Amino acid sequence: MIIELEKALGLAQKLGAEYADARYVTITQAPVSVSSDGAPKAAHYKSSGLGLRVLVDGAWGFAATPYLDPRSIEKVADEAVRIAAASARHKRGDGVSLSPLPPIRAKRQTPHKKDPLLVKAEDKVRLLKEVLDRAKKVPGVTRASASIMSYKEEKEFMSTDGRRVEQTSIHTGASLTVMARGTGDVQSRSFSDYQDAGYEFVESLDLAQKAETLGEEAVALLKAPVCPQGVTDLVMGGQMVALQIHESCGHPVELDRVLGQEATFAGTSFLTTDKKGNYRYGSPCVNIVADATAPGGLGTFGFDDEGVEAQRVDLVSEGVFVDYLTSRELAPRLGQESNGTMRAVGWNNIPLVRMTNINLEPGDWTLKEIIKDTKEGVFVETPKSWSLDDKRLNFHFGQEIAYEIKDGSLGKMLKNPAYTGVTPEFWGSCDAVAGKEKEEWHIWGTPGCAKGEPVQVIHVGHGAAPARFRKVRVGVGE
Amino acid sequence: MIGKEDVVKVLEKAVSLAKGFDLEVSLNAEDLSLTRFYENHIHQNLRRQDHVLTVRVIKDRKIGVAQANLLDDGSLRSAVMSALENAEVAGEEEDFPGLPKPQEIKEMASYVPATASYRPADRAEACGIVISMAKAKGLEAAGSFATVARETAVANTLGVRAYHASTEAFFRCIVQSGPNTGYADRLTRDVREITFEDVAREAIEKATLYPDAKDLPPGRYDTIFLEYALADLIRFLGMYSFGAEAKQQGRSFMASRMGQKVMGGNITIWDDGLDGRGLAVPFDSEGVPKKKVVLIDKGVAAGVVYDSRTAAKDGVKSTGHAGPSEGRFGPLPGNMFLAEGESTLDEMIANTSRGLLVTRFHYTHCPEPVRVIATGTTRDGTFLIEGGRIVARVKNLRFTESMVEAFSRVESISKSSRLTRDWWGTFSSVLPAVKIKEFTFTGATSF
Repeated sequence: MIIELEKALGLAQKLGAEYADARYVTITQAPVSVSSDGAPKAAHYKSSGLGLRVLVDGAWGFAATPYLDPRSIEKVADEAVRIAAASARHKRGDGVSLSPLPPIRAKRQTPHKKDPLLVKAEDKVRLLKEVLDRAKKVPGVTRASASIMSYKEEKEFMSTDGRRVEQTSIHTGASLTVMARGTGDVQSRSFSDYQDAGYEFVESLDLAQKAETLGEEAVALLKAPVCPQGVTDLVMGGQMVALQIHESCGHPVELDRVLGQEATFAGTSFLTTDKKGNYRYGSPCVNIVADATAPGGLGTFGFDDEGVEAQRVDLVSEGVFVDYLTSRELAPRLGQESNGTMRAVGWNNIPLVRMTNINLEPGDWTLKEIIKDTKEGVFVETPKSWSLDDKRLNFHFGQEIAYEIKDGSLGKMLKNPAYTGVTPEFWGSCDAVAGKEKEEWHIWGTPGCAKGEPVQVIHVGHGAAPARFRKVRVGVGE
Repeated sequence: MIGKEDVVKVLEKAVSLAKGFDLEVSLNAEDLSLTRFYENHIHQNLRRQDHVLTVRVIKDRKIGVAQANLLDDGSLRSAVMSALENAEVAGEEEDFPGLPKPQEIKEMASYVPATASYRPADRAEACGIVISMAKAKGLEAAGSFATVARETAVANTLGVRAYHASTEAFFRCIVQSGPNTGYADRLTRDVREITFEDVAREAIEKATLYPDAKDLPPGRYDTIFLEYALADLIRFLGMYSFGAEAKQQGRSFMASRMGQKVMGGNITIWDDGLDGRGLAVPFDSEGVPKKKVVLIDKGVAAGVVYDSRTAAKDGVKSTGHAGPSEGRFGPLPGNMFLAEGESTLDEMIANTSRGLLVTRFHYTHCPEPVRVIATGTTRDGTFLIEGGRIVARVKNLRFTESMVEAFSRVESISKSSRLTRDWWGTFSSVLPAVKIKEFTFTGATSF
């Protein structure tokens, strides 16, 4: 498609664009799912097209087409330029200027052994049926469902700055939900995880064993007491920590949000630019990085959709907020260069500042040590609901399961747990992060991060381990 | 726009490829133009045209699905073959009643050429009106303006043929005045119905009214919800309670309480995809005509919405609420209405001795779907009412409350409604403003 991309860029320049970039993207997906009250389902989705972004008179325009014939490319170039010219009527000051980039030619592909799109659907169905069978064997389980994601994104990028990048990303993983129904009550337990990897990742998940354990927990939850209200120490499992990072750190450090570009929908951020480098975001044991280079992370790639190399960037160092996720347009406003986080979903969306893998660095505890060191508290795991205000300060998270902690040991199971807090106070109360044992720190794949208008749902990752937070308000809403 | 004639040709071609199996094909074409602005300047501006062709093959009660976005003969054939291959590996669907047979579909005039032909320069001019009015008062405006033309069509091997063209214009803005914000939006089929000066005035008034926001402790307050806010509250009932699948799986309170009084006697909620006051589309993704469904009738749990599969399970007829590719939540009510009352907003305020007025919510969620316990924070204008009048702006609050219980305590409902979309953009509902007694706020923010 290089010829078509070159043509689109050339036409845009001829029509007056001072900068242009073009992407040809093909996304192929083959989801397979099973449920205990229906037959296995398999599907195949394919979407391809070209997106062209231009700068005219310092203002942006974007147009996209699924067709690559000369007439369609001419039309898309003309539209992108006309749209940019309309933007220029209300441009900011002298207009957009981009942080510099030298020309480059590069390729990147997800390291993998088995392409999930080449694995037969029958084999995926067989695996998922075994998973369902294990869940259904648990007395009291009323419904179970499971699915496997197989996703491939093939992308060619070219810009008038001389950046030319080809990337193929392969994402795969699985999800599993087990439900138990009692009188006036429904309890569910679930698991999901995804990686930038081959199908060997799915095979490593031991979904059948997980199904049995989750089934037993869902049934037990029906008889469990409700998590009591109060202020207590909160120990979170890794998957819950991952979501807490996503919502209360990942989104607030997106510089476009901070500057107000997402005000009408996703909101803004409490991490205003005056706080960079001097604001206490959390306790000294809180170290958070954006790492687009982490092997296996769902937010791992070679280059972003401005052609900037994937990077590892400190966001919070020993509790102090130090940097944002940026773009070529916005980084210069802070006297910086882009740290490579502009990504678009598919071919027909504009790139936005997006999370990569936003990771809480491993601490020097184990979960066992944290529990043992906690006199009284609650252990919670697996997100069930999430809600934050438009600056990402006040939050409320619900979980699927909890256990009371008494005198250094896990006690009885609790249902319908939830906690609430305010972001910097909450992270400021973090006094223990696990990860001393390597297997307790893991990059959880989150394929459903939504942002922008029209909404773009993108894949991101979060490295996390269990952690403890002191004096948190739990049991809210009961 | 592809145009009805060409859309029909594509669907007929796909249907003709069905040999020895049943096939359903749907085409969703979208031509979206969108301009976004912040800090009084345009920062994003785009047009994208795409079409998603979805093929569902049914062979020996096994179902396979494929999607493609190219409509040439090779892509059509490839999509049908992929769907057939997927059907081969699927299991037999014991409760699948087969594809629907043709039924009469109402023609609806939902396509407005003025919206479809709106140009980038027109959008820039409209955004400029709001920007200029904000600037004139030393304020900053942010917002977005989308104009969309859509074509939706369904055909199947049993003779279903359905086509509908529509347009939509959605303009929204937030005006920032120091630490305070105000919001307004307009959603319509016809872009000419939007008076941008009115939208700007509403947002500016909200942003500038009572600049010193006060802290208010969490607690229970009589609360008036503007239509924007109510859209988020009713969304939870639509998502988690009013669909047949949620009822059949026992995930909805409707499962055990059908026919019982579940809300206040002044609450009647229905879904009507044929009412032009909403964003009506006369058929669903299976090509089944939409039917009006009363969900709550004077407080009594009255009905849920069905697609073909869930209808067959309950031995009833589909109400025309199938989602795309049998969506993850099952059939959902996309065009909800709440019966109007007899108050005006001014009367609701005047009749409040101490309470709150909430403009809208941000990022709401539902931790307890069976009891529909929901949570979220207010934004863009939350005000304290004392002695029958607005006396102060208050800092944003978090609510955590059962929607079933909240709708049992609705004290008054406004006598006018408007088309409004929830924050998530899930549903577009026609709603009045409501006042709910002792609504539970569980947290506060610092802004």
